[in-house]
Amino acid sequence: MRKIAQLFLLLALPLFTGAQTADDVVSKVLTKLNSVKDYKVSATIKANIPMIKILPNEATIYFKQKDKFKVESKGITILPKQGFTDINNFLAKKDYIAVINDTVTTGGVKTYLISVIPNSAGGEMILAKLWIDPERSVIMKSQITTKSNGTVTTSYTYGDQVKYGLPSKMVFEIDIKKFKLPKSVAADINKSSAEKKKKAGNKGTITITLTDYAVNKGLSDSIFK
Amino acid sequence: MTTEPIIRVEHLAKRFGTFEAVKDVSFTVNRGDVFGFLGPNGAGKSTTIRCLLSLIRPDAGKVELFGKSYANERSAILANIGSIIEKPDFYRYLSAEKNLEIFARISGANVGKKDIAEMLDFVGLGDRGKHKVKGFSHGMKQRLGIAQTLLHQPELIILDEPTTGLDPQGIVEIRNLILRLRTEQNKTVVLSSHQLSEIELIANRMVIINKGKTIVEGAVQDLLDANDLQVRIETNDANAAKEVILSAFPITLITQINQRELEFPVHKNQVHLINQLLVNAGIEVHAIEPKRKLEDYFMNIISSEHVA
Amino acid sequence: MLLKNTWNEFIKILSKPRSYLGVGALTLLIAIIIFAMKADGKSIISFVTASFEQTLTFNGHILNGYLIAFIILQMLIVHVPLLVALVTGDLIAGEAAMGTIRMLATKPISRTNIVLSKFIAGAAYTLFIILWMGFLALFVSTAIFGTGDVIVLNSDGLVILPEADVLWRFGAGFCVAFLSLLTVSSLSICLSAFAENSIGPIVATMAIIILFTIIGSLDVTVFDSIKPYLFTTHMASWRSFFEDPVPWSAIRESVIILVVHNIVLVTVAVIRFNKKDITS
Repeated sequence: MRKIAQLFLLLALPLFTGAQTADDVVSKVLTKLNSVKDYKVSATIKANIPMIKILPNEATIYFKQKDKFKVESKGITILPKQGFTDINNFLAKKDYIAVINDTVTTGGVKTYLISVIPNSAGGEMILAKLWIDPERSVIMKSQITTKSNGTVTTSYTYGDQVKYGLPSKMVFEIDIKKFKLPKSVAADINKSSAEKKKKAGNKGTITITLTDYAVNKGLSDSIFK
Repeated sequence: MTTEPIIRVEHLAKRFGTFEAVKDVSFTVNRGDVFGFLGPNGAGKSTTIRCLLSLIRPDAGKVELFGKSYANERSAILANIGSIIEKPDFYRYLSAEKNLEIFARISGANVGKKDIAEMLDFVGLGDRGKHKVKGFSHGMKQRLGIAQTLLHQPELIILDEPTTGLDPQGIVEIRNLILRLRTEQNKTVVLSSHQLSEIELIANRMVIINKGKTIVEGAVQDLLDANDLQVRIETNDANAAKEVILSAFPITLITQINQRELEFPVHKNQVHLINQLLVNAGIEVHAIEPKRKLEDYFMNIISSEHVA
Repeated sequence: MLLKNTWNEFIKILSKPRSYLGVGALTLLIAIIIFAMKADGKSIISFVTASFEQTLTFNGHILNGYLIAFIILQMLIVHVPLLVALVTGDLIAGEAAMGTIRMLATKPISRTNIVLSKFIAGAAYTLFIILWMGFLALFVSTAIFGTGDVIVLNSDGLVILPEADVLWRFGAGFCVAFLSLLTVSSLSICLSAFAENSIGPIVATMAIIILFTIIGSLDVTVFDSIKPYLFTTHMASWRSFFEDPVPWSAIRESVIILVVHNIVLVTVAVIRFNKKDITS
């Protein structure tokens, strides 16, 4: 299946090649991202997920190359399992084929829709679709499909830190079809089944607003312990 | 002794399902009486006493204590009564002192720790106040029961079979205690028992009930008058003896037991005359056995109960 | 006289070994739960969050004292009625069995006051049990595990309650839990007024709770009309305070139904005890 998809993309390649190849676009993005050695940022996390009720929460996010990542919060915060560092790590390995599928306007910005397919079948990643703004070399939207976590779509908004490719806002769209509530003592036995069936939709969003970036200030490894 | 009635029971009746425990019981207890409430087991004594204490609601009849009825003045009546029903039961997990404190608190009187200590001394449990009741013998519980009845200085004391289960020494102790209540504290005491001898020793008035009905009521002295006898005579010829006696004395209730024995009620003064009459008529008198009439009657009830 | 006899009832409850049996059992159970949470709390929590954790990560101090207090309440609220009934079911029937009811009923205190004082003392014992459970669950747990937001698994999903928004929910939850246990207490006192020994009312109370709980949890249409009126349906109402938004109208309804149950049960007990011939 993967082979067929790769073949299809290779055949389609000449149709969409413009001024830049997909690899050029992706590597520019990667270069920008790699210019960030570390950062610390304040985040406001707002989750709107059916079956989970949580108030917006404040957190501090720490990142250090290559893959050190930590969320520090006073209360409980919910983040998508993938999205922050996974795409960076995957692209950094350069073990993929990138193809420009189309040019799409997303969030008022003209972007290349690039499909990125891993060469090896052993990894977690199945397919990544990236909507990249070629002007600023930043990802405007991503859709990552992994083996175990399904598909997560992320939209990015940029502010002051666009020069590092760091967003000021990220909106994750999560598939919640897989959520099943365990039947346990923790459940409220007195609620009738009719009430239990009251479920709204199967898409959830997590919006993370990021402010006060401190980039490349030299974070100590001890923070991530 | 005054004759002011403290308890007045009239035509009391109580039924449990189909069983008529009390059919028609009436009696009066006067102030200062030690009143014997006598009857064989199952006569209805306990039910009557429980009616006196509002433990059981009678189906019919009237119960009046201190001129008041339970319908409107229950608390006022009970504040003036101390009682032990059947056997004194206490909180086994509490000490004697704590038990008395509990009952004193709801007795309607001001009873202090000192009063409790004095009362324990009075009943001979002065050194056992701190001990838990679960270690007490039946006699000790009975004495603690008496302490509990007296603690709030009631006018009337009702004791239901207070000597049941006691050893002879215990019986004597309780009997003396009751006599002291009468002589030293001038209490009115109602004492139920199935033993005439017990009532005879301490009561001045009594009622006998049987099968839920009052049989007789009056002063013990009158009821157990030693002059009023039931005599059994053994001769060589009961028929001849019966003829001789009836020709000289107007005795209606003469019973011929067998060919040799007769039984009949007679005044004490007439016994020697009957003997003389029979001897003069040539009848051999082998034995004359006098019995007090009421005792005999009561013994008959008891024995028929045992036979049944 | 009511207060005096209520004081007497306190003394009796405090002196009875069985009163401490309940408190001891409760302490032991809570200690076991806290120990289990300390030893393997994370895997117990992940049992609840596992399905979500394929896609999401939960960050922060999840295994905290508040959550453990919630879990303790959730697990024990089913068992505490037995501990309450063990004491309250004995209040009238135990006296009948011991014979002391005769002594009590021949004192100048009305039978209504006897029942009411027992009800008040039973309520105080129930309150003590709830407070003790609250103390152990909340204070001991937070002392060991610290505080934090509470993840609650409700029938319609997870609710994550901020730490600052939790204590009042526990307070209100304890009040409603008290009211539901008070209903158990009133039920056992009411049954106790009909019995001559204490085993009967204790077993009957538990049997009624089990029966009503089964009826309440069966998804059978014929029971739907009676379910809202069973007190057991409302025994878990304390949990509603941990929902977001708090279903106030449902809680109000539960409180009304529980209060009505209490009034009816105490009234029945008073009437029965007043009419009762004490023959024991």
